[in-house]
Amino acid sequence: MAGIVGLYAFDKLWRMSRFTYYSLLALQHRGQESAGLVTCYGEGLSELRGKGTVDKLFTEDALTSMKGWMSIGSVDAEVRPESSIQPVVVSEPVKMAFCMDGKAVNWRELAEAEGVKSASDVEAIAKLLSKSIKRHGSLEGAVKLLESLKGGYCFVALTESGEMIAARSPSGLKPLVIGSFGFDYGVIASESCAIDVIGAEYKADIPPGEVYLFTPYSIERARAEKSEVTYCSFEYVYLARPDSYINDISIYEARVRIGEVLAEEHPVDGDVVIGVPETAIPFAMAYSNKTKIPIAMGFVRTGPHVRSAIKPTQFERLVGVQLKLNPIRPAIRGKRLILIDDSVVRGNTTKNTVTLMRNKLGVKEVHVRIGSPKIMSHCPFGVEVPPEDELIARHLMDDEVAAVVGADSFHWLSVDGLVRAIGVPRHMLCLGCFTGRYPPCFKG
Amino acid sequence: MVKVLVVGDASREHAIADAFARSSQEPKLYAAMSRRNPGIAKLCKSTGGSIAIGNINDPQFVVKAAQEFHVDFAFIGPEEPLFHGVSDALEEAGIPCVGAKRYMALVEMSKAFMRRLMWKYKVPGRLRFKAFKSLEDAIAYVNEYAESVAIKPARQAGGKGVKVIADLQVYLSKEKKEVKAEHVKTVYEKHMAVYDDIDDKVLIEERVEGPEYTLQVFTDGRTVKPLPVVQDNKNAYEMDIGPETGGMGSIAGPGWLLPFLTEEEYKKSVEIVQGVVEALWKETGVRYKGVISGQMMLTALWGPTIIEFYSRFGDPEACNVLPYMEADMVEVSEAIIDERLNTVKIDFPHIATVVKAVAPKGYPDHRKLAAGHPALIDEEAIRRRGCKVYYGSLDERPDGTIVTAGSRVAEIVASAPTIPEASEIAESCIPYVKLLDGWGLFHRSDIGSEVLLEKRIEQAQLIREIYHYRLSRGLIGRSIDWIPGRGKIEYEF
Repeated sequence: MAGIVGLYAFDKLWRMSRFTYYSLLALQHRGQESAGLVTCYGEGLSELRGKGTVDKLFTEDALTSMKGWMSIGSVDAEVRPESSIQPVVVSEPVKMAFCMDGKAVNWRELAEAEGVKSASDVEAIAKLLSKSIKRHGSLEGAVKLLESLKGGYCFVALTESGEMIAARSPSGLKPLVIGSFGFDYGVIASESCAIDVIGAEYKADIPPGEVYLFTPYSIERARAEKSEVTYCSFEYVYLARPDSYINDISIYEARVRIGEVLAEEHPVDGDVVIGVPETAIPFAMAYSNKTKIPIAMGFVRTGPHVRSAIKPTQFERLVGVQLKLNPIRPAIRGKRLILIDDSVVRGNTTKNTVTLMRNKLGVKEVHVRIGSPKIMSHCPFGVEVPPEDELIARHLMDDEVAAVVGADSFHWLSVDGLVRAIGVPRHMLCLGCFTGRYPPCFKG
Repeated sequence: MVKVLVVGDASREHAIADAFARSSQEPKLYAAMSRRNPGIAKLCKSTGGSIAIGNINDPQFVVKAAQEFHVDFAFIGPEEPLFHGVSDALEEAGIPCVGAKRYMALVEMSKAFMRRLMWKYKVPGRLRFKAFKSLEDAIAYVNEYAESVAIKPARQAGGKGVKVIADLQVYLSKEKKEVKAEHVKTVYEKHMAVYDDIDDKVLIEERVEGPEYTLQVFTDGRTVKPLPVVQDNKNAYEMDIGPETGGMGSIAGPGWLLPFLTEEEYKKSVEIVQGVVEALWKETGVRYKGVISGQMMLTALWGPTIIEFYSRFGDPEACNVLPYMEADMVEVSEAIIDERLNTVKIDFPHIATVVKAVAPKGYPDHRKLAAGHPALIDEEAIRRRGCKVYYGSLDERPDGTIVTAGSRVAEIVASAPTIPEASEIAESCIPYVKLLDGWGLFHRSDIGSEVLLEKRIEQAQLIREIYHYRLSRGLIGRSIDWIPGRGKIEYEF
């Protein structure tokens, strides 16, 4: 998974590097392994990328030295070799920087057919785009690529000559939105929060299959041939930020509804509801409001915000969780606790939390409720889900999970419940990680 | 038979000429234009009139044309002839004129003059500003004080050169400061370089936000006759994205208001424009005869607030109202000239109107690219759909070919019971404006759409709640601040 942005000023006075930096900072939750930023000043590109988080990578001086009124950038959760950290730059036939979120399923075949050699999907697709726009022009070239490249992805590209191309795959699986700042610049981003933090205004969701082309003389749009639309449902459960809008649906409101559905599906008597920071907080608030069981603040975080579930190693995940979860004793001690968490993948971070509650703090009961359906299967579109033999829900029944993590009861949200909470018809959602059944765009 | 001279060559002047052509007095129409607008030329010819091509900013040229055509009066469309004293020259030559005198047109030409006038006469809806003559002072001010501001050329410069910067995130302040300083320089070196008719160079004004609208009025300097409010859309591209243009299209109605404006706000807006007309009279002892338009915004500070004044109709805003005006344009003009506008009734049907401008690719910032392309407008097809089309930035060559001149080529006007319906009808006419060499045209399909209209209503409601709160606390026209270490700072407007 990744977060992508593109900023395009209509006036050369602007230096967009720092704006891009703050947009990326707002998308940091979509990937913390590497980041990159490329600006364009009309006749060349200026690049900066590396492993780590954006605040560590981009220094004041570096940002100030990057000139240009056009810029793209990305944060990435995928561990990539140094040479293919996003945004990648291809030099032939049209020199451009390129970054994407998501995965294409047939990029190898297309690359082979076009004689494109690369071990990296991002680089290969960048080259395919470069060839396609050389052949058909920027707008038509991008549309043609979208029509042949199957999967769930969005991308932003910036050519050396100062054109910016943004596109969302016809499946609409990955999110992409557009905004603007006065008469000064347009902005494309994975989530609307990246538009908010730079003081720009969120304008609209970019519809599936749509290509935006920014040139010095115009903004043009075109739509790829229609195909079945399936939005990623995991964005609503975990991936996106609660202050964002995706597919014109507020993430926060979807999470509130998830909490309500969870309360309907799995009510339980208790003294206090506690949400595990940060994703599960809206679930917990809604669960509490629905059940009238009071909510309390259960934990305080130490250190920077870390998305514990998508860290690549177990060590990092546990460090993430343990640092994140210093309990507030009086809120918890001696209570019958309803603990709400966002997702349980392997189960061991939850076990860690519940054990802490029981052994250190002394609780009467712990009832765990998860604001996500069981994670049963991998994600072919780039969300980092561990191998299937590591997925606790795939192997254990609910009461077995309860016993493993040490809870009095343990329940997941149902898939139907999630569909209801998101409010989009089931056939328009990808629920692959919960059901193992993938949408048409997966088949190529 | 009445003979009328229309000065100007854009869509607005085509709409003005068209309004005259509908008069029951069947006037003969003449036009003074800087290039041959095919729509205006054809209209003049059809009434038995004629046209003159030359520099419309040159008073001598316009006076000569008026004298040769023996016109009874002139109606001046654009601002530059007013700034150049064309109205004054016509009157000196004994030709009455609807169009502000040079000094009166300062209300548009000099933004500092306008603001000083509003402050002097305490007209509501004014903003705090600073005018600068020296580049160094302006840049020093920007670097020291300016946070969220509007930076404008102190003179009306064809609507160009205005930059509004919301500087609300301290972490982006450095970049924005640089842009502000650079822009001040651009205003000095580019936008103001061609003008030597005004002392102030740059105006820095407090930034306000809210929905904008235009209130156009006829006035004889005694009475103001307001027209329905119109909202223009300035961003070049859909969803209010893109650089600033002269206006990509506008909406009005149903009736006198817009869906996001209340009766009370409309009245307040009229009072403000009237207040400025009166202030001009008190200041000069001269009657303002012509059209004056308030470019207004609903702000948290005041409710209705003046952003700028036009000493003429807006373009495209003129095209929303003139085709549907239930009054005789000759009668209205004569009443303005004779200072008896109070005797004229100006009415409008209860309909909504949408204007859509069509522009060549390259507009607004690369006009050379946008110019020189052969164009064709299928007027008949547009008329069959119940719409009107006004020719804009087009030039008819001696061989009859029509080529683009760099700005908006045409404005299509549609009416219907609601704005979204009118928008759809106007949209259906877009394909009838064509360029024959394959160069691209663009327009905004979203103007007047349900989605955009709802955004405007939502934005207006937000602002309305704030200014109503301020009204209820007696805070309108006042600002109260707390500066740590300095104390409470109260500011009376």
